[in-house]
Amino acid sequence: MAPSNIDTTVIIGILALQGAFAEHQTAIQQLALPRKVDVLLVRTADELARCKALIIPGGESTTIALLARLSGLLDPLREFIKVKPVWGTCAGAILLAKSVHGAKRGGQELLGGMSITIARNGWGSQVESFEADLEVTGMKDPGRPFTGVFIRAPVVLTLEPAPEDPPIQVISRLSPSLLPCSLTSSNSTNEPRTFVALRQGLHFLTTFHPELTRDNRFHEYFVRECVIPSISTPRP
Amino acid sequence: MDVVNAEQARIAEEAGACAVMALERVPADIRAEGGVARMSDPRMIKEIVDAVTIPVMAKVRIGHFVEAQILQAIGVDYIDESEVLTPADEEHHINKHNFKVPYVCGARNLGEALRRISEGAAMIRTKGEAGTGNVVEAVRHERAVMAEIRRASSMGEEELYAFAKDIQAPFHLLKETARLKRLPVVNFAAGGIATPADAALMMHLGCDGVFVGSGIFHSGDPAKRARAIVQAVTHYNNPKILAEVSEDLGPAMVGMTIDKLKGGEYAKRGW
Repeated sequence: MAPSNIDTTVIIGILALQGAFAEHQTAIQQLALPRKVDVLLVRTADELARCKALIIPGGESTTIALLARLSGLLDPLREFIKVKPVWGTCAGAILLAKSVHGAKRGGQELLGGMSITIARNGWGSQVESFEADLEVTGMKDPGRPFTGVFIRAPVVLTLEPAPEDPPIQVISRLSPSLLPCSLTSSNSTNEPRTFVALRQGLHFLTTFHPELTRDNRFHEYFVRECVIPSISTPRP
Repeated sequence: MDVVNAEQARIAEEAGACAVMALERVPADIRAEGGVARMSDPRMIKEIVDAVTIPVMAKVRIGHFVEAQILQAIGVDYIDESEVLTPADEEHHINKHNFKVPYVCGARNLGEALRRISEGAAMIRTKGEAGTGNVVEAVRHERAVMAEIRRASSMGEEELYAFAKDIQAPFHLLKETARLKRLPVVNFAAGGIATPADAALMMHLGCDGVFVGSGIFHSGDPAKRARAIVQAVTHYNNPKILAEVSEDLGPAMVGMTIDKLKGGEYAKRGW
């Protein structure tokens, strides 16, 4: 690929149909990065086409999916996910899943991209929302735990990568003792229900809200590990 | 979106609402029927909770912390300490720090918003004038809040102390608001929003989202209007999309002029 590409600004889109897009924008803008990064709030297919990567924020997955369809974004988003890095937080993680439990009556549309099944709203109503310290081994300053903010958060149920899919890597786990009673099946730390941050190929998923803390190590990780390598590598 | 039964809640969810407000009567009916308006029947709220996957809010009377304890016990997602219901206390609001469930409260100006936040409100909305289908009071309140924030953000610290005293706001919250140049919590529009254009107007004035009450289920085609208002909140800055979604929605709620209620009737409740 032509070296000129190295010098241009990288545009990271944030899907701004509903939810916590403004908080992601602030977090990305505060990063110190080796490449110049600009944020674009994405509400139309034209805006999506300008982006090199996308963040799908938390919010209500039913609302975001409906607005995506009404805005003519469902198919462009599915095409985007096939070739470019995408990070989904909370509702965004639900949209990135292959299948979902606890969908609204009549079912709901997903975007896919990660080979997992996820359950919406794993802990119950708003009063069951909580914060928990998470270990973050692959991040900057790994000794310092990350405060995970879980708000009506989804729970990863199973990992189902097909042989041709990229492997799924667990980036962060929740202590099994914090799992909702209804979902505790074993105390093993290899239980998918404890997985709260996953990476598969270009894609990244967190069931909690890193954008609601001042700690932007997850944002830094996404840009450094998923976005920048995908741009620097020449594509055939 | 305000809903009075499980069927309306499902319509709201299908239309893209990100939460519903469960109540026995929408504000327009409370206004028409009069009498004391109280917290809704917990059974009816639970039916709505069971019908949808999105969060459910419910209203309590200003100061009525026992109604709030009941709502928290049945597992509602958010409580609205609302002037639309008949106030239970003419001096004190609920100490919202005593609850785990988050609260939204109404405000007409910055001082009122920051007093509610200091009592523990996690979200603020304009009061508007609920049940009128007339957006004028919501506009008045949002403009007041944003104008005061702009003034505060250009003030020196000495001036902020005086301004805090003036608007009866806690100094530390005023200072934080001035630094952020916005309220330190999520800020919704509410009270009188009836059309997609009303919703977009409130977003332009600085709101983060919109409550629609009587405007949906008092209109000719609730499902279509609800969906149009959801789209208008996302695409508030795109007049072409606003034009498309505003087409052919059927009759809006009839609405009331507010000449006799200037400054609001319900909006004056709260201290």
